[in-house]
Amino acid sequence: MKRYKRVSLVTYLYILPILVLIGIIFIYPLSQVLISSFYNIRLGAQEGIFVGLDNYRLIFSEPVFWKSVRSSLIWTFGNLILQLIIPLGVAILLNQKLRGMHFARTLILLPWIIPMVALAVSMRWMLLPGIGIFNEILKNIIGTQISFLGSKSAAMPTLIILNTWKWLPFGTLLILTALQTIPREVYEAARVDGANFWKQFIYITFPLLGKVIWFMGYLILVWNFNTFDTIWLTTEGGPGHIMQTLTILVYRRAFKVFRLGEGAAIATIGAALLMVMGILYFKFLSPKREDES
Amino acid sequence: MGTKGINNFFTYIGVIILLAIVLFPVFCILISSFKPLLELIFFGTGFFPQKFTLANYVSLISVQTPIRNFPLFLLNSLKVSLGTVLLSVPIASLGGYGMARYQYPGRDVLARSMLFIYVFPTVLLLIPIYKMFQNSGLLDTHIGLIIIYTALSAPFCTWLLTSFFRTIPLELEEAATVDGASRMTVFLKITFPLAAPGIVTVAVYSFVIAWGEYMFASILLLSNSKRTVTLGLATLTAEQYIEWGPLLAGSMLIIVPVIVLFFPVARQFIRGFMEGALKQ
Repeated sequence: MKRYKRVSLVTYLYILPILVLIGIIFIYPLSQVLISSFYNIRLGAQEGIFVGLDNYRLIFSEPVFWKSVRSSLIWTFGNLILQLIIPLGVAILLNQKLRGMHFARTLILLPWIIPMVALAVSMRWMLLPGIGIFNEILKNIIGTQISFLGSKSAAMPTLIILNTWKWLPFGTLLILTALQTIPREVYEAARVDGANFWKQFIYITFPLLGKVIWFMGYLILVWNFNTFDTIWLTTEGGPGHIMQTLTILVYRRAFKVFRLGEGAAIATIGAALLMVMGILYFKFLSPKREDES
Repeated sequence: MGTKGINNFFTYIGVIILLAIVLFPVFCILISSFKPLLELIFFGTGFFPQKFTLANYVSLISVQTPIRNFPLFLLNSLKVSLGTVLLSVPIASLGGYGMARYQYPGRDVLARSMLFIYVFPTVLLLIPIYKMFQNSGLLDTHIGLIIIYTALSAPFCTWLLTSFFRTIPLELEEAATVDGASRMTVFLKITFPLAAPGIVTVAVYSFVIAWGEYMFASILLLSNSKRTVTLGLATLTAEQYIEWGPLLAGSMLIIVPVIVLFFPVARQFIRGFMEGALKQ
């Protein structure tokens, strides 16, 4: 099936619309956000005053900014770990050839497709102590309650789990795809040689999945660094700034405190930090050559 | 036979536990939305509603103020979501077809970047897009929001459709070309209908993306009458006294259309996703 039609100038018209759209909405604003970060702009005002690096100086001197960096890192890596491990287990489970498995694979897409807003605002009730259904269940089982979103120690793990639940289908589908490329005969041969489930996993499955897991890890890292809905719609960055990641801080600074210039500066710093993490990820965690095929 | 049977048994138990965890939160929202107020705010009333009521839905729809007008918000969301589908599907179809059929220089990088574009920090876009829209008069318009949602969904749709178009044999198109059909006729009369399942899938996907989006709507829409339903729902939590009943009912009203539209095409979606992912 590796056959293509001849490329001529006219054939570029097919991809022109999508490229123009990406150019206008994704690429062009990049330059603009950098420019804005050097200005003092208030929301609603047309033009700002050039202030050079003042926005950056101000931000680096704020303790709230450094707390945000910390929150962002905890949030990102917490999600990264859970969102790599759990989909792996789920995918192996759903890869078994049994009746009804297709139906199960379809059903687990649910978290991915339901709007986060609906989930987040309902969670605010479900997780509330003294009222919510989750705490009612907890009280019946272990006799105590947890202020899931209200306490500084519980909010981060709670939201990481909620977010992992939300993105479970994506990772599961990716790993499932990779699992299906491993021929069944390989496992059967291993079984004949007496390899149990764990040996099969460690010596066959895991090495062959290396590349997919690496690719997924990168997507998850970046996506979670940018999470907005899950956090804003549940705690708005609280309690006590504990959930105020850089993304939340940008939104709050630009559209709640109305300082667009400062928001743009924080966004730029966040993007730079993300880029550094991306480069480190590629440099140190790229799969070794043997894994590529 | 014996050990295999036991293994299958444990697999089924595992799948059932998994599905329970995956479906549980939505199930909780559903049954709780039928509970009367007293059962929602007091403990010890049990998991299932003791007194089944539609009062939450009635109050959500019938209590109307400028900042809380759910019928209007639902209509706005419908308008924006359908607009997104109408814009996103043609763009993604053309793009996906192009990338499946023509070996442009740098095509593989281009095809891959359709997925990698989602790595882009959208929060970085908020401020420049707000300013861009302010200057071009798109701020506080549904058209503006439709353009943004198209940009958010079209790259993924293009990626999915590329894998769908690849499965359609080139020979079919060539036969038609020999018969004298123009390039556009071939695309519209032969390829497009054959790719119909894929097209429907991406249409549903763009609808779902637009229907559930909150962040851009919250900064790009200013007037109450233009709000989408996600904004309307989030506003309910900002009030001094939160009405949990209508809030849960509102959540269900947002979730149900997505489920009804998506699950009929879910298998196509999985197929397209997996075929696309294999090419990465």
